[in-house]
Amino acid sequence: MKNDRPQNTETPGPVSRPAEPLRKPDTGKRNPPGNSEPCDTAGPLARMRDWHDDFESRIDSLISYLQDLGSRSKQARVECSRNYSKIADLTRAKTRFTYEVSHEIKAPLAAVYNILNVVIEGYLKDDREKQVDLLTRARYRVREIIALLNDLLTLSLLEESTGRLKKEPLDLRAVLVPVYEEMQEYAVERQVHFSWQWGDELPVLLGSPELLRRVFVNIVDNAIKYTDPGGSVEVEARKDGDTFLFRVADTGVGIPEEELPKVFDIFFRGSRARAETKAEGMGLGLSLVKRIVDDHRGTISVNSRFGLGTTMTVRFLEYTKGGAGGETGTHG
Amino acid sequence: MAKRVLMVDDDPEFVETTKIILESGGYETRTAANDKEALVQLEKEKPDIILLDVMMKTIGDGVWLGQRIKGDERYGDIPILMITAVNKESGARSFHLDPSADGDYLPVDGFLEKPVEPEVLLREVARLIKQ
Repeated sequence: MKNDRPQNTETPGPVSRPAEPLRKPDTGKRNPPGNSEPCDTAGPLARMRDWHDDFESRIDSLISYLQDLGSRSKQARVECSRNYSKIADLTRAKTRFTYEVSHEIKAPLAAVYNILNVVIEGYLKDDREKQVDLLTRARYRVREIIALLNDLLTLSLLEESTGRLKKEPLDLRAVLVPVYEEMQEYAVERQVHFSWQWGDELPVLLGSPELLRRVFVNIVDNAIKYTDPGGSVEVEARKDGDTFLFRVADTGVGIPEEELPKVFDIFFRGSRARAETKAEGMGLGLSLVKRIVDDHRGTISVNSRFGLGTTMTVRFLEYTKGGAGGETGTHG
Repeated sequence: MAKRVLMVDDDPEFVETTKIILESGGYETRTAANDKEALVQLEKEKPDIILLDVMMKTIGDGVWLGQRIKGDERYGDIPILMITAVNKESGARSFHLDPSADGDYLPVDGFLEKPVEPEVLLREVARLIKQ
């Protein structure tokens, strides 16, 4: 009977059972729990009490629902604005990147164009030696541009989340031996003493052979390039706990302290930048190396003293089947 | 007496070929690869015109140097011709020579985009020196 609706009263919806027990009417006082007095359980006053209580409790739930909505909407607004500013930052970064890339390509192209003009328009008259010298330098600049474009392509493939550059369990020796042989020759050319310490056992890594090769070549090539004849480059390639350690120490020109934090920046040209570079070392340089290392969940660090030399250390977690071959390493 | 050019740009091939072109036009050319070298050269001998690249090692290096030169009472009257690989309008940035307009104000007297045809270069240099 409590739930019967009288005909003339409007109620906003189906009446639900009131949550609270029946009370005595009116004074606003409530019976203390456990104190059961007989009360009016039927009749108009009781029904009004019920509707009133029910109505109040529905108002309460509505209020708390709205409060909850309000706070979630506030959260949503905060999150929206956070996402928006992230998008704005990324768009700015992308624009800046495009701007820098186009400069990096236009500048060498302009140099090449100038060289061609100077030769074709006869500014060098009959000086064949000078002509060949300039044209050779033009050719080198073209290779630089191509290397940069290749690196940009690699970078964009790395950024693709579907990872077209496939990772597989790698035999490190197969990757490293050709690097060793190539760098050995380069060191001889540069008259730099070259030593390579192989660990007895090399761990298996999960990675892309081309990309990892790029990392190793780039680091060793830099070391040799920036070391004067008579200096030395020492490479360590070994298992260290559950990681693969690749460390290259040189007695080269070193990196000035203020440049150290920028060493992995894209397009960073240090003060020690030199003309002679093997093709693979051009392009995005260390910034791409770091991206590859990050992508393989490795760590890379530089230690250097200007005038004394540089040591670069790379570590990768060993690949274990069904295991962590890729969790983040906090060592370095 | 031959007019003197100071060229500030860190691209060795661009500098060398531009020097060849300028010398064929009868200009004596000194070069500097960065702002420090440029200031040294300026003190050694005051040029009749400065050729300046916007970006050397870091973005806007050249702009800073331009402002520095223009602000110096010894060198403020030397015309500056900016020759650079960046576009005048390049999306996020637009360079121009009017300090009151929007975008990046370049404290220079002329602006050329690389690559520059030799005749255009020689014409612009002559024009700015005359001013």
